[in-house]
Amino acid sequence: MVQPVEPEPTPTTAGMSGRTKLIAVAVVAVLIVGITSGIVYVLSQTPSSLAGIVKVGFSISLTGQYNVEGKNSLTGIETAANWINDHGGVEVNGRAYGLDLDYYDDASDPTNVVNLYPRIITQDNAQFLLAPYSSALTGAAAPLADQYDRILLSHGGSSNTLWTKGYRNLVEVLSPATTYLDGPLDWIKANHPTDKIAYLYADDAFSIVAGRAAVAHGQQLGLAMASNQTYPNKGTTDFHTQLNAAIAAGADDLIGGGHFQDGQAIVSQLSSVNWKPKVVSLLVAVTEPSFQSGLGAAANNVTGPSQWESAVNYTPALAATQGFTWFGPSSADFTTLYKSIHSGLAPTYHSGEAAASIFILVKAIETANSLNTTAVRQALAQMKVMTFFGGFQVDSTGLQIAHTMVLVQWQDGQLKVVQPANVAQSSVRYPYLP
Amino acid sequence: MRIPRMRFPTFGPTLYGLALVMVVLGVATPFLPIIVKVQLINFLLFVGLAYALNFMTGLTGYVSFGHAVFMGIGAYALGGGIDRLGFPPLLGVILGAGLGAAFAVGIGLVTLRFRGVYFAITTLVVFLAAKNIVPEISELGGGSGIFMNLGFQPLAEFYTIWTIVVLEIGLTYWVTHGRLGYGLRAIKSDEDAAKTVGVNASRLKLILFGISGMFAGATGAVYAWTLSAVLPDTGFDITYSLRMLAMIIIGGAGTLLGPFLGAVIVYVPYNYFQTVQSLLGLQLAVIGALVLLIALFIPTGIVGTVRRYVPTLRRYVE
Amino acid sequence: MADLGLVVADLVVGLMLGCVFAVIAHGLNVIWGVTKVVNVAHGEFIMLGAYGAYYLNVYLGFNPVLSVPVDAAIGIGVGFLFYFGLLHRELRGKDTITRETEMVTLVATFGLSLILSNAALAIFKGDAVGIRWAPETLAAGPVHVPLGGLYVAISSVAIIAISDLFLSRTYLGNAIRAYSQDIGAAQLMGINPTRIAAIATAIGFALTMAGGALLTVWLPVGITPLIGATYAPISFVIVVLGGPGKMWGSLLGGLTLGILIDVLPAFGISASIAVAVAFLVLIPVLLFAREGILR
Repeated sequence: MVQPVEPEPTPTTAGMSGRTKLIAVAVVAVLIVGITSGIVYVLSQTPSSLAGIVKVGFSISLTGQYNVEGKNSLTGIETAANWINDHGGVEVNGRAYGLDLDYYDDASDPTNVVNLYPRIITQDNAQFLLAPYSSALTGAAAPLADQYDRILLSHGGSSNTLWTKGYRNLVEVLSPATTYLDGPLDWIKANHPTDKIAYLYADDAFSIVAGRAAVAHGQQLGLAMASNQTYPNKGTTDFHTQLNAAIAAGADDLIGGGHFQDGQAIVSQLSSVNWKPKVVSLLVAVTEPSFQSGLGAAANNVTGPSQWESAVNYTPALAATQGFTWFGPSSADFTTLYKSIHSGLAPTYHSGEAAASIFILVKAIETANSLNTTAVRQALAQMKVMTFFGGFQVDSTGLQIAHTMVLVQWQDGQLKVVQPANVAQSSVRYPYLP
Repeated sequence: MRIPRMRFPTFGPTLYGLALVMVVLGVATPFLPIIVKVQLINFLLFVGLAYALNFMTGLTGYVSFGHAVFMGIGAYALGGGIDRLGFPPLLGVILGAGLGAAFAVGIGLVTLRFRGVYFAITTLVVFLAAKNIVPEISELGGGSGIFMNLGFQPLAEFYTIWTIVVLEIGLTYWVTHGRLGYGLRAIKSDEDAAKTVGVNASRLKLILFGISGMFAGATGAVYAWTLSAVLPDTGFDITYSLRMLAMIIIGGAGTLLGPFLGAVIVYVPYNYFQTVQSLLGLQLAVIGALVLLIALFIPTGIVGTVRRYVPTLRRYVE
Repeated sequence: MADLGLVVADLVVGLMLGCVFAVIAHGLNVIWGVTKVVNVAHGEFIMLGAYGAYYLNVYLGFNPVLSVPVDAAIGIGVGFLFYFGLLHRELRGKDTITRETEMVTLVATFGLSLILSNAALAIFKGDAVGIRWAPETLAAGPVHVPLGGLYVAISSVAIIAISDLFLSRTYLGNAIRAYSQDIGAAQLMGINPTRIAAIATAIGFALTMAGGALLTVWLPVGITPLIGATYAPISFVIVVLGGPGKMWGSLLGGLTLGILIDVLPAFGISASIAVAVAFLVLIPVLLFAREGILR
């Protein structure tokens, strides 16, 4: 800041004895070293680890921009660990190990991820890792997992590029971002192939991958494209221009979205431009209960992709017909346990995908019958397992190829699973009817 | 025969102290546990950013709210260099420094015509514009950013940022104690008067803005290196603009020790609060309170205040 | 080639958006124009105004337009608090605002904005909330005028017109203008500078929080503790474009931004680039018209 002009002491040592100077140097140095070593000490107090347990370490966003997703993920992970420990733990070589969770808040900041994973691995001695929430944070953790040779299961980072970088130990549990919007497009193709599609999606890392993949998938299906627009992911609350452009281009259906706020804003502004698209299908926002409570009737018949809903009924029988091995609780059992642990709260899809990563990990350890990273990684590469969350199978890079998204739709105030047909509760209602 | 008395070169205790700390860090780090290493890398990133902004805001009094733009440019230079051109990381950092300096000079040519609040707002506007433009550039991954598998290279990262900080400290000392320093103090107290006595204020400001952008770019590149990725949100993160400003205000803008001190004060709660449940998320509020109090009551920051009120320490602390 | 109907439709929306931008920037304009202090925490007070309207809606069922007077009344109190808690130390007894004062207040309010936004994050949590208030939409061909946006635009223009009348036609307004032009001379005319500066600050805060209430119409589900970071830069740009202290400058600056953001996309320019252009337009304006567009 502007300082008042003060006489600048000339940088000379004249009139200053060598001794004083030496003391001064020492004082300054001791101060600085003291402060620095203070930090180092504070940051390096060690918890201990026990034998007879399998320790799973991760960082998760309890504060910052992903705090809601992070908290839901954590409760899912806790529920899954609870179920495993109540059902005989993890069995390796005839010996049962308890599952122990070791986690810290990363405040949605990738810098913290880089700080926390070395601590989780080298100090807390976690044998297996779950990734943090979101692709950016997962990307920061991946090189650390390879460096220390730990499995890293991704349950909230779905950007496909992560699996093109040659990370050995990064394995995806959820469907990749590129498949999010396939569901509604496939349905349109099958039922109303002449609809013209307006694509409108946010330009952040996740939505842009999902949106561009949707455009490509639509083209592949031969669906006519009316317009293809992006919008800035933060602070955009006015979609009138984009919606006007879509109407002017003669669009029938609206596909895209990004996050909660913008998704809700898009639907709320459909009425102010007097547009009733026949299909409205938006990322992320639609699955939140507050989407319906915030919009009321305008939410009716809006569809959206979801990684998982507690109503989706994957069963051991379904697993058998599709050649999967079943593992873990049923959707209903998971939901009941989740509610009993978390004071009646219902699990969201973030809880589901995070919990699934625990079940997949335990299944892989038991399949490998070993706690060795290489053996478990090999088991992950080969196994074909179905949990309450759906299928699990990865390609050679660790990218998920078996899990499928489901399509949900608000029908008269209820969120119904409408696609795929073998797990659906209800059929798709058409057109959008606010 | 007269034996010449051994003399210290006349550098002053602060520089010796900082040099000692840096030497200790440089020598000790390879032997420290990895957890401490990654913490030190992050700490030095903060120090690097603080000194970078200090060249501009500290030395000329021009407040920049948008300095994270140079960090973002550096981060994307590293990402683009590695992803598109197959650079090794170090070359990416050098590219980041170069582009940081080039953009700073380019932006400075226009924005340095504005003073005070107008300059501050212009820097903010440039930052926001860049943040909106970058996701549109598909060569830089568009909005989905660039992921790089660089492996985990804590020592290489550490010595790169260490070198950057050492250069910054040396250059800060040289600028404040050389002929440039007199011109700078003149600009800071009264730019118009400075011009009348023959200080080429525009050129001086442009040079400093360039240096500032260069170091912010280099630091931003190392930051992206530690994250193995650069995305619009992490590359162009306004909270880093705010932290940079907070660090030099708290420590003492325009001083040699201030940015280091400010970095310690801002960095420790930033990390420590993460592990204390009740304090989660309040780091920036506490830093804000410190900034508010310091601006109102001791606008010259810790170092400036010590110098003003404790004359005996004036020699040692600068 | 852009479709004419689309351009007109976008222009209408841009004008309405410009009006709401104008009203949120107006309080900053008044404070900046009169006291020469730039309140970096301006966005956080817009945010508080928005939350004020939200809670008035939740507990009393007020719609955003009805919340305006209540928010303004709260704003007056907050403004006096801000003046005597923060500005008075710096402005007291000074005839001209030095660059040092300017920088000190800039940094102090920067600190305040960090405190307010992060404290708000701890109190209100990160979840976005909104007010469900959607009056009808008027339609004429491709042009759609949502009545909510229209009410906000009318309120905004009315607020700016009233503030202009107040400054030019009333004794207090003239005193404020005198103070803003020359503190020393104003004092010679028997004007108490502290009183005037405090009143002007309070008026500025009332306008800011009222603007926050009107903004909620445009944020049907987007009120978060961090909206300040979005709307503060927009407000800075608007005030600089119009020229600090010029009442109609707020409207001119607001409309410039609103039209650029909403009409450029009709010509095939992406929304992100339109936002970037709207921000960057500040630089040529500053280069060629230092005092803002309005003379």
